[in-house]
This record gives sequence, C-alpha cells and structure tokens, in this order.
Amino acid sequence: MFDAEPFPEEEESEARLKILVPIKRVADPENANKVKVSADGTQVTSEGLEWAINPFDEWSLEAALRLTENRAEKKRTGEIIIVGIGPNDDGMMRTLRSALAKGAERGILVEADDASLDSSVVAKILAKIAEKESPDVVFLGKQTADGDSNVAGTITAEHLGWPLVNYATQITVADGGFTIKRELDTGVQTVSVKTPCVLTSSDRILHPSSVKNGITPDDFAYPESDHARTAPLRDIMKAKSKPFETITLDSLGIEAETTVEYTQFELPPARSGETTYVESVDELVQKLHGDAKVI
Amino acid sequence: MHSYYPEDLLAHAVNRYKADLRDMRFLMFEQFNLQDLLGKAPFGDWDQENIEMVISEIYKFATSVLGPLNQIGDEHGCKVVDGSVITPEGFKDAWAKLYEAGWRTVAVSPEFGGMGSPATIGILTDELLSGANTAFNMYPGLAMGAAEVVGHFGSDRQKKLFVQRMLDGRWGGTMCLTEPHAGSDVGASTTTAKKNEDGTYSIKGTKIYISGGDHDLSFDDNIVHLVLARIDGAVAGTKGLSLFIVPKRRVDDDGKNLRDNDVRVVSIEHKMGINGSATCVLSFGEDDECLGELIGEVEHHGMRQMFKMMNFARIGVGIQGLAVASSAYLNALEYARDRKQGSSVKDWKDPSAPRVPIIEHPNIRKDLLEMKAKVEGIRALIVKLSTHQDRETALAGKDDASAAYHKGQINLLTPLVKAYSSDEGFEICAKAIQVYGGAGYLRDHPVEQYCRDAKIFSIYEGTNAIQSLDLVGRKLGQAGGANTQAFLGDIQKFISANKDHELFADAIKQLQKAHEAVGGTVMLFLGWFQSGFMDRIPLVSERFLKMMSELAIGWLLLEQAVLAKEKLADVSDTHPDHAFYTGKIHGAIYFAKNILPTVVGTAKVISLADTSPNEIPDAAFGI
Ligand SMILES: Cc1cc2nc3c(=O)[nH]c(=O)nc-3n(C[C@H](O)[C@H](O)[C@H](O)COP(=O)(O)OP(=O)(O)OC[C@H]3O[C@@H](n4cnc5c(N)ncnc54)[C@H](O)[C@@H]3O)c2cc1C
Repeated sequence: MFDAEPFPEEEESEARLKILVPIKRVADPENANKVKVSADGTQVTSEGLEWAINPFDEWSLEAALRLTENRAEKKRTGEIIIVGIGPNDDGMMRTLRSALAKGAERGILVEADDASLDSSVVAKILAKIAEKESPDVVFLGKQTADGDSNVAGTITAEHLGWPLVNYATQITVADGGFTIKRELDTGVQTVSVKTPCVLTSSDRILHPSSVKNGITPDDFAYPESDHARTAPLRDIMKAKSKPFETITLDSLGIEAETTVEYTQFELPPARSGETTYVESVDELVQKLHGDAKVI
Repeated sequence: MHSYYPEDLLAHAVNRYKADLRDMRFLMFEQFNLQDLLGKAPFGDWDQENIEMVISEIYKFATSVLGPLNQIGDEHGCKVVDGSVITPEGFKDAWAKLYEAGWRTVAVSPEFGGMGSPATIGILTDELLSGANTAFNMYPGLAMGAAEVVGHFGSDRQKKLFVQRMLDGRWGGTMCLTEPHAGSDVGASTTTAKKNEDGTYSIKGTKIYISGGDHDLSFDDNIVHLVLARIDGAVAGTKGLSLFIVPKRRVDDDGKNLRDNDVRVVSIEHKMGINGSATCVLSFGEDDECLGELIGEVEHHGMRQMFKMMNFARIGVGIQGLAVASSAYLNALEYARDRKQGSSVKDWKDPSAPRVPIIEHPNIRKDLLEMKAKVEGIRALIVKLSTHQDRETALAGKDDASAAYHKGQINLLTPLVKAYSSDEGFEICAKAIQVYGGAGYLRDHPVEQYCRDAKIFSIYEGTNAIQSLDLVGRKLGQAGGANTQAFLGDIQKFISANKDHELFADAIKQLQKAHEAVGGTVMLFLGWFQSGFMDRIPLVSERFLKMMSELAIGWLLLEQAVLAKEKLADVSDTHPDHAFYTGKIHGAIYFAKNILPTVVGTAKVISLADTSPNEIPDAAFGI
C-alpha cells in the first residue's frame, strides 16, 4: 500500500552501520624505551608512561570511520561506539576522547584494574556489550602493541557466535555484509561475511582505497599515509560534549577472573652500539651469517 | 598539473623535527598555571585535557606533514613561472591539510571563526609548526598577522570581507614595508597613494623583500597585501604613512569576481636560508591600475596600525628562533648519544680504553647543557610573555590595574623575545653543528639548514639593533619606568623568598648580582640620557638587551628548578619525570653559574663608557 513515510528514510537507515570499536591505551610505542619492569619481574610498570592509542586499534578505528561516513561530503553516516576497558585515569580518558575527536559518536568506559584483565576477560566484556548494543560489527585491532596476544577478537566472536574475519586489508560493503580481502603469506584471500560479525584489520587498511562503503564515492581516494587520520581542531573541541558512559564490571555481571598469569618480564638486552667495520662483501656476509646469525 | 620537481621527491622525504612536549606542559601547567584561567570566560571551552590533545595532535601534524617538506623546500626553493611564484613540491597539499585541520585558528577569536584558546596555545602551536618547517609556516603566519591588523583596525565592511578569508586559507596575506631605500628607516618609503573620487586609492611603488609576496597556496588564489604608502601631500617620515589593503586580485563586496589588480612579481631573491619562503620584489601600479583601500578609513595612521602587526610578528620571530634551536638541540643530543669517538677522559692514560659516545666528553656535555638551558629558558620567557597576554585578556574590564601590569610586561618583554631568541637561536644552531662535528656541516643532518634558516631572524621584523634601541630608548622608560620597576621587583621577590634555599642559595646569589648589574645599568643609562650622552647608548644597547634577557631567563630557570626540586620528592627515580625534573635543576644551576656572571661582566664593560667606535675616523677603519 501507499506508505506515508518518505522512501529515502528507509534507505538511509539501511546504510547506517553501527560499529563497536574497542580501544586500548598502551605505553606510547614511540617512547617504548621508557617502559620499565617491576623489581620482581612480574609486571610492566605503567608509572609515568606516555599513553597512546594502541596502533592496531587506530587502524580498526580508521576502517570503522571509513565504513560510516561520506568522506567526499565530510558527513558521518553511521554510528561508532568506542569501548575502553581499564582504569578511569587521565591517560585512558585522553585516549578515548581522541577517538571521539576523530569522529566516533559516543563512548563507553568499563572500569577495571589493568592487572585484572587478560584477553579472556576483555572478550567476555566485549561480548556482553555487543549483546547490549547489537552493533553490526565489532571491529578490533588484530593485537595490542603491549600484550601482543592476538586472541581477543577470536574469543569475542566465539562468545557471540558471530563470524570472524581477521586481518582485513580491503573491505567492500555488500548486500547484508561485506566482501573482504585478507592478505596472507600465501596470497590474497577474498571472503564474504554477513553482519553481525567480528573484524580485525591490518595496516593495509590505511591504503587510499581500502574501504568502499557505497556512500563515499568509489573513486574517492583517501590521502596516502602511514598514519590513521588525526582529529581536526573543531572536533577535538566537540569531543568533550559527546555522550559518554562509565560502567563497572559488576553492572555487566562479569567477574574479572584472568586465565593467564604472567610469571616473568624481561627488557630486551641493551643495544651495544658497537660499530664493526668490514673490508669486503664476503666479510660482511660471514659476519651476518656466521657470527650474528641473522641471514 | 605539470610538476616542476623530480617525480619521486616526496617519496624520499623524511621528518627530522623534534620538540619537547613535556617542557611545554611544564610551562603551561606547572610554572605558569594556565589552568587558573581555563573553563571560564573568555576561555570557557578550554581545559587541560583538550589543550594537551591539541598540542599532541599538532605535533603529529608537524612531524608527519610539515617536517618531511623542510629539506625539500630548502633544496628546491621557489620559482617564478610566467610572473607567478611556484612554491616547493608538497607545500600546496600541506596548506590544504593545515587549514582542514584548523591548527592556524586555535587562538583566533570566535568572532572570526577561531577557537579562542589562550594565546599561549597559539604560541606553542607556532613553535611546533615553525620548528617543523620555518619557511612553510611563514605563509600562513603572515596571512594571520595581516588578518589581525584588519580585524583590529578595519571598518566593519573590511573585517567582514577580508579577515575570515585570510584566516581560513582562502586568501593569503603579507606586510609590505621595505623598499630599496627604506629598510630600517621605514619613514623613507616612497610608495604613493592617490585618492580617487570613489574613495579608493591608486597605489604606485616598489616594495622589496616581501615574504610570501606571491604564492600558489591560497584556495581562491588571492593575497591581501598590507602596504605602507604616502598619500599625496602627506608629511615626510613615518607620520605621513598610511596603511592600505591592496589585494592581488580585486574583489566585490562578496569576495567574488576576482580580477587582476596590477600587482606584479618582479623577481624573487636567492637566499642563505628559508628557501621555501618566497621573498619577492613587488611592483604596485605599473599600469596605474592598482587600487587599495585605507584600513579603517583613517589617513596617516599607517605606522601605528603596522606596529600592531609588527608586535605580533616580532613575537613570531622570537618563536622561530626558539623553534629551530630546540630541534637543533634535540637532534644534537640524539647524535651525541649515538656517535662513538675517543675514550673517556677518566681513561686518558689507557690507549686501549673502550670508545665512548661523545656525550661522555665534558666539552660536549657543557655544550649540550648550555643549549638545553638556553632553549628552555627562551621558551620560558616566551611563555611568560604569552601568559601575560592571557592574563591581560582575562582581566580586561574587570581589574584594570592588574591588566595594565600585564600589558606593561608584554611591551617590555617583546624586544627581548624577538632579539634574544633570534640571536641565541642562531648561536644554538651553530653549536649544534659543532656537537656533530663534520657530520653537522653536511646536508645529511638537519642542523646546517637550521643554522642557515635561523640567520634571518635577527634581521627581519626590525633588526636586533633596532630592537635594542626600542628597549633602551622607549620600553625601559615607558609608563614612567613602572614596567621596568615591576619587572625588577618580581625578580627581587623571588630572590628574597629563596635566597637561603638549601640547594640553590649559591645560584641565587648569582641571580642577585645580575639583578643588581641590570638595575645599576638602567640607572647609568638614565644618567646618560640626562647628561645628553645619547651617542653612547647605541654602542651598548644590544649588550644591554642581552643582559636583561639573561637576567629574566636566569630567574625563570631558577624558578623552574625550585619547583622541580619540590616535585622530585613525589616522583620515584624510575619515573620519566625524575629525569625531567633533575634536568631542570642542572640546567638552572649551569645557567646561574656560567651565564649570569657574564651579565655582571657586561655591566662592567658598559660602565667603562668606551666610545672608540664613535671616535675612530671613518677612513681609519681601513682600506
Ligand atoms: C628573507 C627576508 C624576508 C623579509 N620579509 C619582509 C617582509 O615580509 N616585509 C617587509 O616589509 N620586509 C621584509 N624584509 C625586510 C627586512 O625587514 C629588512 O631587511 C630589515 O628591516 C632591515 O632593513 P635593510 O635590509 O634595508 O637593512 P638596513 O636598514 O640598511 O640596515 C643595515 C644595517 O644597519 C643597521 N641600522 C640601520 N639603521 C639603523 C639605525 N637607525 N640605528 C642603528 N642601526 C641601524 C641595521 O641594524 C643593519 O645592521 C625581509 C628581509 C629578508 C632578508
């Protein structure tokens, strides 16, 4: 029958992707030399560290932003919810707000002690929030720059019973889901996935034409860069007034029971800085192959 | 578009800019307590968190977008093609990114589309942008300075038509004072303005050395020149000068229908440094078709109006000096930690002793510590000035006496910031080359470019000689000497409060002596003025400017050290702040014991009142 609702509304709401992007704050990898291990060796101390967004999360945030905007017209067309898990401190808030400044619509902080978190707890939390928010995608970084565990995405998908595609390098919005290219050691694999799903990305997602969402014109090229976008001044100023919720593990009904126990951390041996001069290519090969065993 | 540069130029570009954001935070939130002014009018939108976010994002922008273009701009420079300036590869893209991000308008009033931050944030933004690429940052910097003048003195129509467009990247801006026979002596300008019946003026004349006099960066291809010219019949000298808005392309009241306004690029200069910044000879009205409009529609107020821009620009030049010096220091520091050469002086008898990084050699340590103390001291002086601006803004209309105090300090400190920072900035870059040794002289490292770029800072915006005359001849005695007294009084308060400090008593004794030396020299000058020994002043004014700057910096560094000592008590020795605060302590002590005594020595030199440069006959200088 004749519907009073104008047609475009419907179309637009279909295009509105809702994406959950977990963000971890890690010791700024650019200042990694400031990372220290506690005296008993069981902990990395966070004291005085400069915090930064986990670079892998920065890629997934970039991908999520590209999926939910018309870049050519500089318009947001979907919704991104940032999820932070950890202590409610300056470093955390700054990291989450910088994600909001880049364009995410709202944020959630799940308050928790760093020590009470491991990939298993994190995945439980994310699954719980995903159940509550019903996003189309949970878009994680493939790993973190500190723990390097590489499993939170997989466990989250398992909890939710959603499909998982890891290491996406190209994403095209397709009917009811995505067509995704994954770069593997053996070549490029193309897979189709329906939403809701769990995704992780690789750094190739920063490529100028890695994401086609059907809204930003297909021939639009993002700038060539090794970095995800930075927040413009105006949006930094707006970030403060975006909706933000702080919740506890209790309120999610989750007990922080870690399954991994860290027994020992060691810093990498200090670089000697000694320079060795060689006379010939043969000698160089001998040194690299025979002595240093790097080739 | 046709490219004038090798194809893969940008692909190989690397950033070498470094900045010390921790020191910036320290100045804002530990030493000068900017937080007192935040979260309420006129800075209601600002808090510590968004300031830190803005600064760190700008640093990312500086190092990822501007830094890689610095050497490209230096090596390839600008070109004139068909009468128009082509800027170095990548500059146009950087301009677009800069304005898209909005970094230029952090501190601009919301009235003109800015974010209305404290001036201090604008100052630190400028340090980051200038440090990453001095030459590039001149284009937006000058557009902004010119926009400020129109925003301040322009008629409502002029404000509406010009200011926002000059601030958002659509149009550029310049300041056109210098002429072949009118450099330091601006009053000798011969450019003329003839009033037309419709109220516009026909401009005719040649301006030289105009930075950004033409370029291909602005989105709507227009540049607003602010031109000092003499209206027909006006008196000679600076009093007869008026300031005109002369756009490269004429516009209607909606800023549309741009058409040629008879402003020609005659040539660009080939220079020692800042090669990415086009320094132009401009000819106005060669075909009698160049129209200008009087700023604010008042005649003969040109110098007063231009001074507004010059004060802004003088602080800007001080920031340029700081910006490159800071990166030169941080690069030299990194190199000194890495480069191995010679063995430790402790092993001087043992030829087989291991090679050590050069940072272990006392000579290098002394150079590094001096650079560190001076860079941080200059930054403190500049931020002191900008927080005076912020406090003046916050107090205006509420507490006029306090606002006047802050305004007085701004006036007094401006020539110090301009001249000391630019002189020392150059010296610090030269010292950085020295720390590197031969490598520093090569293009492979950034410090030789910093040194070449930095030389101009002591020359433009009024040479440092002119700054020192402004200080001694005008600023010291301004407001009946009240500003100078307040300045010396502030230092005396610090000395009295801390003279028995457990750690710094010795250092503060040096500060006390320097304070007496500066106070005594001010009195000596007063005597010279009263006895008519005017010709002695220019012989020593530059020395005096240095003395006064070093007194101020010694004070600010010791104030930092006292703070750092307190803070150290709460920081464990594995915390990175431990090293930071410890550095503050050593820097301040070094400055107090190695630089402040020279202030006393200089006072002695000045008191000898030697006038041999005035007495030697010209012919006796040599062939
Ligand atoms: C790269 C570059 C960019 C520039 N950009 C601009 C610009 O954008 N706009 C603009 O208008 N100008 C610009 N200038 C011009 C600059 O401001 C002048 O070069 C400067 O003011 C000095 O003038 P001058 O070169 O004519 O030197 P002079 O005035 O000839 O000075 C020569 C020397 O004499 C000294 N001297 C001169 N008069 C006195 C005095 N009365 N007392 C004591 N000492 C004195 C000076 O200190 C200097 O050491 C630029 C110059 C350069 C090189």
